[in-house]
Amino acid sequence: MNTSPQRSAVLFEVSGLSKRFGRIAALTEVSFQVRAGEVLGLIGPNGAGKSTLFECLAGMLPRDSGAIGAGGRPVGSRELSSLLFYIPDNIAPWPAQSVRWALDFTIGFLGGRADLREEAIERLDLAELLRQPVGALSKGQRKRVLLAIGLLTPQPALLVDEPFEGLDLRQARDTATALRTHAARGRTLFLSIHQIGEAARFCDRFVLLSAGRVRGEGTVEELAALAAARDRSKPCQDLEEVFLALT
Amino acid sequence: MRAPWLWLLEKECRELVVSRAWWVLLFAMGPLVGVSFISAVRTYAEVSGLNGTSAGVGEALSPLVGVWAPAFSACELAAVFLLPFVAIRLLAGDRQSGGLKLESQQGMSPFARILVKAAVLVAGWLAAMLPPLSAILLWKSYGGQVYAPELITLGFGHVLNAGLTIGLAAAMAAIAEHPSTAAILTLGITVGTWIVSFFGAIQGGWWERAAGYTPAAMVAEFQHGLVRLDTVLVALVLTLTGLGVAAVWMRLGIGVRRRAFQSAAIGALAAASVFACTFARPSWDTSEARSNSFPEGDERALLQIHAPLRIEVHLAPEDPRRDDLEHRALSKLRRAMPNLEVRYVSATSIGLFEQTGAGYGEIRYELGGRRTMSRATTAEAVLEAIYSLAGVAPPAENEGAVFRGHPLAVAPKWAGTIFYGVWPGLILAGAILTRKRFQ
Repeated sequence: MNTSPQRSAVLFEVSGLSKRFGRIAALTEVSFQVRAGEVLGLIGPNGAGKSTLFECLAGMLPRDSGAIGAGGRPVGSRELSSLLFYIPDNIAPWPAQSVRWALDFTIGFLGGRADLREEAIERLDLAELLRQPVGALSKGQRKRVLLAIGLLTPQPALLVDEPFEGLDLRQARDTATALRTHAARGRTLFLSIHQIGEAARFCDRFVLLSAGRVRGEGTVEELAALAAARDRSKPCQDLEEVFLALT
Repeated sequence: MRAPWLWLLEKECRELVVSRAWWVLLFAMGPLVGVSFISAVRTYAEVSGLNGTSAGVGEALSPLVGVWAPAFSACELAAVFLLPFVAIRLLAGDRQSGGLKLESQQGMSPFARILVKAAVLVAGWLAAMLPPLSAILLWKSYGGQVYAPELITLGFGHVLNAGLTIGLAAAMAAIAEHPSTAAILTLGITVGTWIVSFFGAIQGGWWERAAGYTPAAMVAEFQHGLVRLDTVLVALVLTLTGLGVAAVWMRLGIGVRRRAFQSAAIGALAAASVFACTFARPSWDTSEARSNSFPEGDERALLQIHAPLRIEVHLAPEDPRRDDLEHRALSKLRRAMPNLEVRYVSATSIGLFEQTGAGYGEIRYELGGRRTMSRATTAEAVLEAIYSLAGVAPPAENEGAVFRGHPLAVAPKWAGTIFYGVWPGLILAGAILTRKRFQ
């Protein structure tokens, strides 16, 4: 996909982030960079630690060690809320309230962009759902509402856990278009995706996560070169093959 | 453009309105108030001479004690058994749905968010207090006497009690992972306060002092028209403590150990504040019958006594004479004489085997080096002992100032229709309409 973000500025960087749940190491010394305006994919199998990483980045889980930095200095929890917004997977916020109200609440309470409201409704095909309560929506419909909420939020970076989960083929394609259009305006998208094929079509760069460790970071070409160097084989441009080689 | 907290306020109001627990609370308040109001009015009528019974006098015919305390007792019941579920639903709902994860990224302080929830819950509670308030209108329509200060005091007491419940339920909802666990913990602590009261009645001492600040004891004071600053302050401190602990545990991204330390710090601060509040002396008797005060003439006479008064009471905690002495004389004396020190002395809790002891049952008074002893536990006897020690002439009895009560021999007309029919019907209709609107 788009390879220009290679040269764009670093929006924030994560260094040495670790998180344990008792004896289980969910994340170990995780380090990577997020660049302004890119679509970064967090790739990994189920249980790799993707959601834990996002929750640590968004300040919803305490991290054991490590730091988030921007512009060469650490980012505090207050600054974090103005730097990034995180949309978790599998939530149904304000279940008794209508979709219309949820979007208005996002604009009013979370300081969302009112000018993007109609566009988000149109691109994510929410017009028919506006009067329905969030709790009554199907999984896919709820996912689209959550994405709309994310698109309206004002922070420069948007983290979405499994943005295509629960969407059918057409919806996934339309959602991808909506996210791409949104990213083209300069917003950074950091998406956790466990389906590598989808990620390969959609993201500019990737962070490969397996068993709580970063196995590689970069574009498909950079990761392929890394895998080839490790295996002393010919570089392969298939992200799935690269992922298997690096993990 | 609305401020974020106004959006949050609107959101919490909407969440309360769609909460079934709140509608159940509203629904139940009608019959609960109805049962107690109707039986109170009937009893009041009988005491007032209905059906040829003899008319009563004095406190028995004070509407505060005869009608309002029982009618408003529905609020106490609802605050213990229904309100916690409403509060837990509002607090835990966000965490269960995932809304908390989105809202917490706004940057607003967790305490501010909890305060908004608490404000909405108090508003919801005020709506639940409409049935007892409508009972006042009914009573007026019967020709009953209403004395606003004592009613305001009673209402205020029940709002404070609800605040305590909200603070406790908020803390439990935030600490516990699941709402049902929070409900069990909340009820468990409430039952714990009853145990404190029980121990206070048996053991005396610090238990008795602590029991004076339990919600049940607090409500009992307000039911008699007494407003004590220390009680109000302690209730406010405990409510804020609950909300503070809730804010600590609703904050995301903080480890359990750190939360536990912060909660312990809040607990320590609260304990110190409660201890300091217990030294607040001012109190106000708002009852029309002046049921918490000596007659005005006696209060003026007592004010002339400046020397410290020490009373040593040799009665066991479970001895009924001690309870009589405390409630009929000493509680009033504490309000009238700030320089009073009361000491209870007993070897056992029931006093059964102390009765034969030489000093048991004695009430020893010491004022400015002079001493006297009495065994009488009535207010008149206590005052007489003090006047004789101080050399103060007892004031002349003012017959005109004695509260004679407001007899009213009427049947509780329309009360059944209103509390068992109209109110539940209105609530049902409201719940159905709201449900339709939100679907």
